[in-house]
Amino acid sequence: MPAVQETIDRVRKIDVDQYKYGFQTEIEMDKAPKGLSEDIIRLISEKKGEPDWMLEWRLGAYRRWLTLEEPTWARVHYPKIDFQDIHYYAAPKSTPGPKSLDEVDPELLKVYEKLGIPLKEQEILAGVRKTDASELEEANDNVYKSGRVAVDAVFDSVSVVTTFKKELAQAGVIFCSISEAIREHPELVQKYLGSVVPTSDNFYATLNSAVFTDGSFVFVPKGVRCPMELSTYFRINEKNTGQFERTLIIAEAGAYVSYLEGCTAPQRDENQLHAAVVELIALDDAEIKYSTVQNWYPGDAEGKGGIYNFVTKRGDCRGHRSKISWTQVETGSAITWKYPSCILRGDDSSGEFYSIAVSNGYQQVDSGTKMIHLGKNTSSRIISKGIAAGFSQNTYRGQVSAHRKATNARNFTNCDSLLIGDQCGAHTVPYMEAKNATAKFEHEATTSKISEDQKFYVMQRGIPEEEAIALIVNGFVKDVIQQLPMEFAVEAQKLIGISLEGSVG
Amino acid sequence: MNMHAQPQRTLAETALIDAFGERLSLLPGDGAVMVKRDDAIEAIKHGLPTRRVESWHYTDLRRLLTSVPAFEAGDIAKALDPVLDGSAVLPVLNGVSSAKAPEIEGVTVERLLEKLTDGSIAPGLDRYGADDAIGALNTAFVADGYFIDIADDAELEKPIELQNLQAGGQTHVRLLARVGAGAKAIIVERQTSEGGEAALVSSVSQLVVGDGAEVTWLIVQEQPDTATHLAQFKAHIGKDAKLTLFVMNAGGKLVRQEVVVRTTGEGADFKLRGINLLAGDTHTDTTMVLDHAVPHTASTEVIRNVVTGKARGVFQGRINVHQYAQKTNAKMACNTLLLSDEGEFSTKPELEIFADDVVCGHGATVTEIDHNHLFYLMARGIDEKAARGLLVKAFVAEVIEELDDEALVDALEARLDAWFSTHG
Repeated sequence: MPAVQETIDRVRKIDVDQYKYGFQTEIEMDKAPKGLSEDIIRLISEKKGEPDWMLEWRLGAYRRWLTLEEPTWARVHYPKIDFQDIHYYAAPKSTPGPKSLDEVDPELLKVYEKLGIPLKEQEILAGVRKTDASELEEANDNVYKSGRVAVDAVFDSVSVVTTFKKELAQAGVIFCSISEAIREHPELVQKYLGSVVPTSDNFYATLNSAVFTDGSFVFVPKGVRCPMELSTYFRINEKNTGQFERTLIIAEAGAYVSYLEGCTAPQRDENQLHAAVVELIALDDAEIKYSTVQNWYPGDAEGKGGIYNFVTKRGDCRGHRSKISWTQVETGSAITWKYPSCILRGDDSSGEFYSIAVSNGYQQVDSGTKMIHLGKNTSSRIISKGIAAGFSQNTYRGQVSAHRKATNARNFTNCDSLLIGDQCGAHTVPYMEAKNATAKFEHEATTSKISEDQKFYVMQRGIPEEEAIALIVNGFVKDVIQQLPMEFAVEAQKLIGISLEGSVG
Repeated sequence: MNMHAQPQRTLAETALIDAFGERLSLLPGDGAVMVKRDDAIEAIKHGLPTRRVESWHYTDLRRLLTSVPAFEAGDIAKALDPVLDGSAVLPVLNGVSSAKAPEIEGVTVERLLEKLTDGSIAPGLDRYGADDAIGALNTAFVADGYFIDIADDAELEKPIELQNLQAGGQTHVRLLARVGAGAKAIIVERQTSEGGEAALVSSVSQLVVGDGAEVTWLIVQEQPDTATHLAQFKAHIGKDAKLTLFVMNAGGKLVRQEVVVRTTGEGADFKLRGINLLAGDTHTDTTMVLDHAVPHTASTEVIRNVVTGKARGVFQGRINVHQYAQKTNAKMACNTLLLSDEGEFSTKPELEIFADDVVCGHGATVTEIDHNHLFYLMARGIDEKAARGLLVKAFVAEVIEELDDEALVDALEARLDAWFSTHG
C-alpha cells in the first residue's frame, strides 16, 4: 500500500532522530569573543560599519536589557541561559558582507545547495534549471513572475548573498540585508526600526536590539505589488553562537509583498539561542503576507541539544484598510517561544494568523498570537492547529483585545489540538479582553484524538485504516496549509506528515 | 503569592499583617492550627498577588485592595429568610456561628470554632498552591464557620442554607461539608452584608462528595457595593458522584470567587453553572481550576455574564486533564453580553491536557445584543427597552432553567428579577 509507505516515510523524516539538515560545515569563521558587554556591541557595530546613531540605539537597548528579568510565564522549562557564554558575532571569514554570487565562498554555496535553497538566480524553486544564458532569458520571460523567489541567505551572523536584487530594484523594491540597509538607506531604517517592537519591549527583543547582527530589509514603495516572493533563509552553523536577526518589512500605501522565511541548524548536543525580532509595517491599503517554515534542530530523541527559539514578531497595520497575515509551520526547535502579533491600528484593518505547530520528542512549544484591536471596524482571524506527539508539550497562547475605541472589532479564533500518544501534552491558553460593547469575539478550542466516528466514516467507504488516519490528519491542518505559498505548502505538507500507527485505536 | 519581594508594602498589606499581630491571642486553635496560620501570614508578608502572577493576571489584588476595614462590625439582629422556602438555616453572623443550630435528620452540625480549638481541622487549612492568596488570608484569620456531615445514604428533605452575613468590618469564615456515600443534598451558600459599611469577607467552602452521592450547591453572592468578597469553593468528587455547582454573583465591589474542583473517583460528574450580573464601578472575577485526575469523568461549565455600567468582569477557567485521566469529557463555555461602552470583560479559558483519549473543548464569546433578535421583538411592537430587557434576561435565565428542580429555578429567577428591577 503506497499510502502507508508514504506515511511511514514521512514519520521518519520528521522524527527527531531523522533531522536531515543536521550536518555542519567547516568554514573559517571570524568570531567575536564570548560574552556580552558594551565593548562587544561596539565591535559588532564597527564590523558592520554602522553610523553612530545605530551604535547609540544598540547601547541604549543594552543598558535597558541589564535592568530586565527573563520572562517565566510561558509553559517552557529549560536550564538558565548563561548569556556570557555565547558568541554574539560569527561570520564566515571569506564573506565580510553580501556580494554578488560569483564572489561567495563556494563552500557556502554548497551548504545552501545541500539545503535545497536556490541561490543561483536561474534556479526556479519548482526545480527547473536552465544553464544556457539565452535559455535563461527566455525562461525569465516565460515563467510566471511569481513562480520565482528572491532569497536573502543569512549564515550565522551575516547575510552572505541576496538574489534578484537588480530586478527588484527595477520595480522600486528594496530587498537587502539589514546591515546594508543601515548603510544605504539610513533614513528608512531610522524612521521604522523599533517603531513596532520598541527596544524596551521584552527581555529577548531588547537583547536582540542590542546585538542583532543581520536579517532582511524589505521596502515596497507606494502602489507596488512586489513582482516575486521574497525569502530569507537562516542557517546557524557555528558552535556556541547566538543568532540574533532583525527583519524589517515596510509596505507603503497600496503595496503588496509576500515574504517567506526558513531556518535550519546543525545537530549539536548543546542548546543554541536564536532570538529574532521581526517588524512589519503596513500603511494604507497595503498588505503583507509573512510565512515561516521553522525547522531548527529540535534536539535528539532524549531531548539533548536543539535550538531555543525565542522570537518576537509583530506587525503594525498602521494604515487604514491594511492587512497583515502570518502563516507559520513550526516543526523544529527544542523550545519555541513565539507570538507573531498584529496591532490593528488603522480603521478597517485586518490581521490573520494561521499556525501549525508540530512537536515531537522532548520539544516544547509555547506559541500563538496577539491581535490588538485599536482602530474601528478591525477584524482578525486566528486558526491554530497543534499536534503533539512523543514527550512534547504543545501550548497555544493567544490574546485578543479590543480597546475602548475599537468599535465593531471582530475576532474569530479556532484552536484545535491533536494528541498522539499518552506522554505528551496539549494546552490552550487564550486571553480575551473586550473593552468595547460593539466588539464581537468568538473563541473555540478543542482537543482530541481522532474520533472513532470520523475514522469509521472514512473507512466504511472502503479506505483502509492507515490511509483514513492520514486523510483525517491532512484535513485537520488543511485550513493552514492553504494559506501558504504553493512552493512552501508542498514542503510543509511533507514536514507535518506524521504516522499515527500504533498510537490510535 | 508573588515570588519577588515587594519593594514596599501597601496600606492593605500592612493593615493585614498588623491585624494578625493584634488578633493573634483571640484566634482559636493552637499547635497545628497556629503553624498553618503562621505559614499563611508569611505568604501575605511576601506581598499580595499582582498581575504578574498568572492566576491573578486580571485581578491585581495588590493594587485593587486599597484598604482593609477594622474588625469591629455593626449589629445584626437575626438571620435572613432563606433563598429556598423551608430550608434549615445555619447562620454565621458577623463571623460567628450559632450555638443553637437547628436539628436536621441525618446531618451532624458542628461549629468550626470547636474544630479549630481542638485542632482537628488543621490539615484542611493548607493552601492549594503558591498563588492561593484567598486561602492564605482565610487560614491566617479564620475564626468560625460550620462543619456539616451528612450521613451515608441520607436523602435530605429540606435544603440547608449556610448564611454568611455581616454588617461591615472583617470576617473570615470556613464552611466544611462532607456528604456521605449515596446521600443526596441541596446546599445553599448565601453571602451578603447588611448596612452599607465597608466590609472585607473571606470565605472558604470545602466539600467532599462521597461515592455515588448527589449534591447541588448554590452560591448566592449579593454583597453591597462597599464589600470586598474573596471566596473559594473547593470540592472533591468521588466515584459515580454528581456535583452541580451554581454560582450567582450579583453584587460586591471587589469580588473573586474561586472554584477548585477535583474528580477523585471514576464516573464522577461535575457541572458548573454561573451567572455574573455586573453593574456600577465594580470588579468581579470568577476563577475555576478543575482537575480531571482519574479516567472516565465528565464536566460541563457554562458561564453567562452581563456587564453594565463601568463594571469589569473576569472569567478564568482551567481544565487540567491528568495523564491517566483517559476518556475525560470536558466542555466549557463562557458567554458575555457587554452592554455598556465603559464596561469590560476579560476571559481566559484554558485547557491543559496530558491524556490522549479525551474530548475537551471550550468556547468563549463576547458580544453585544444581537440586532436581529432586537429587531424581531421590536417588529412585534415591543419597545426597545423592554425588548433589550427580555433578551438579556433570557440570556442568563437559560442557565437557570437547566436546573431540574422547580423550586430552585423559581427562587433563582426571583433573585434575577430583583437584580434587574434595580439595575435594569
